[in-house]
Amino acid sequence: MNGLFQYVPGNSPLHRMNPVTKILLTLSVCIAAFLTDNLFVLLFLLVFDLMIGVAAGAARKAFSIFKGLFKVSLFLFVLQVLFIRRGNRLFWIVTDEGLLTAAAVVLRLLVVCLPLALILTVTQVSDIANAMVQVLHVPYAYAFTLTTAIRFIPQFMEEMGGIMESQTARGVEFDSKNVFKKLGMLFPLCAPLLISSVRRTGATATAAEVRGFNLRTRESGYKRYGFGLVDLAAVLISAALIVGAVLIP
Amino acid sequence: MIELQSLTFRYAGADRDALHDITLTIPDGAFLGIIGPAGAGKSTLAHAIGGIVPHAVHGDFYGAVRVNGLDTADTRLTDLSRIVGTVFQDVESQIISSVVEDELLYGLENFGVPREEIEERMTFALEEVGIAALRNRTIASLSGGQRQKVAIASLVALRPKILVLDEPTGELDPSSSRQIFSLLRTLNREYGMTVVVVEQKIMLLCEFAERLAVLNEGRIERLGEVREVLGDIAGLEAIGVNCPRSARFSSLLGEKTGQPVPVCVNADEAVEAARRVIG
Ligand SMILES: Nc1ncnc2c1ncn2[C@@H]1O[C@H](COP(=O)(O)OP(=O)(O)OP(=O)(O)O)[C@@H](O)[C@H]1O
Ligand SMILES: [Mg+2]
Repeated sequence: MNGLFQYVPGNSPLHRMNPVTKILLTLSVCIAAFLTDNLFVLLFLLVFDLMIGVAAGAARKAFSIFKGLFKVSLFLFVLQVLFIRRGNRLFWIVTDEGLLTAAAVVLRLLVVCLPLALILTVTQVSDIANAMVQVLHVPYAYAFTLTTAIRFIPQFMEEMGGIMESQTARGVEFDSKNVFKKLGMLFPLCAPLLISSVRRTGATATAAEVRGFNLRTRESGYKRYGFGLVDLAAVLISAALIVGAVLIP
Repeated sequence: MIELQSLTFRYAGADRDALHDITLTIPDGAFLGIIGPAGAGKSTLAHAIGGIVPHAVHGDFYGAVRVNGLDTADTRLTDLSRIVGTVFQDVESQIISSVVEDELLYGLENFGVPREEIEERMTFALEEVGIAALRNRTIASLSGGQRQKVAIASLVALRPKILVLDEPTGELDPSSSRQIFSLLRTLNREYGMTVVVVEQKIMLLCEFAERLAVLNEGRIERLGEVREVLGDIAGLEAIGVNCPRSARFSSLLGEKTGQPVPVCVNADEAVEAARRVIG
């Protein structure tokens, strides 16, 4: 979980692509997935996602995300199959329409989630934020909120781990198999954790203010995000994905 | 110049003053060390110089603080930050970015440092603080001490006229602590930067600072040249300030032999003093 949103340095075309283009490509995949009902198109999009993962040099990560989502998907699939009663009955309460719809829902979920996780593997959040401010004219305050939230994830985990360790040392058994028991033990930790992060966010806001937060404009960024051939290719692919999803029945 | 005039500050909800009637003038180009027991008000004083108190902290503020003639209560925090840079005691809340390089860039970009200058300033800060190799690392992958160095470097790169550091070596090993203090000396002597540093490592402070302020329960108990302040070992220990062994040694030496012995701030001076008394 901790490593899921973490940037992995590299020099693949995807790393070098303009962050805005990466957002466009991600969104196009999502839009295409929602526009189509064709299972083959969805399957193609899934393969496309995995290929992107491979191209980014993050094949292992892409497959582990895929595996992680698989359990949820399976659960969703069974649920849909049980609830959808339209169509022709195949066996027991399972209908053909139920099976097809469930498959589409699950495929769509996979297709949409994969690139959202992958984009953070090949792009630093600060670059996404900076490019959004520079190219898309997003107000800096929003971009800052995004980067700060993501910046605090590992720290939150660290603190949580620290508290759990010290509690374990005092004899609290966090490694209990019983989910409810475990939740019961974790719950009392939430309050101190929340208080400390609220206090910390206040302090971080001050830290940003004394380093010129209010002076930052669209032109402030030192790094420039240009558009190159990779970006052109990505734009064309994005367009093709959406057109394909609309045209293929 | 920094002028504190009868400064009193009480945090909202607190039942006593964190700072009480503080009057202090710190001239341009000074290197002042602040020391005192836990809860003495050192961080509050550091924040009052940078304007964080009262701008970003709630409480009752009496008296006046002026930096370069600007009254901090009437000046925007952003404008004060162009003059005063503060390294916070809590490193975690100071760091804004996810990557070391971005953390250094942040202030440089915002304060509009010309593009041609940015690279040179970043390299200088990273090298002098000793973290040039960490430039592209994520903050999450750094140790506490390394993060502290990043926080220091990000302010050194900004080159403010006044640099306030609140326990900047709290998580550092002895040799890195010394490196930081050497850097502070360079900045002070060669760039004319005014340095105010809160520090628990008194040996280091006495070696590098020119003047010392001892804070206790929100009041300034002692203020003067390092040797002058260290002259009264008994008084300092009563407040709860641990004096350098060399100073304790020289004071004992004087006491036992009845001869006048100058205050020693390091081992070499202590050896020299002992030689003179014996020989
Ligand atoms: N946010 C706050 N709200 C209320 N009281 C506070 C707050 N911060 C500090 N204080 C109180 O103000 C006094 C001075 O605190 P300050 O942090 O300035 O001490 P310090 O000398 O920096 O201590 P340390 O060596 O532990 O860092 C203490 O009594 C402390 O309890
Ligand atoms: Mg403090």
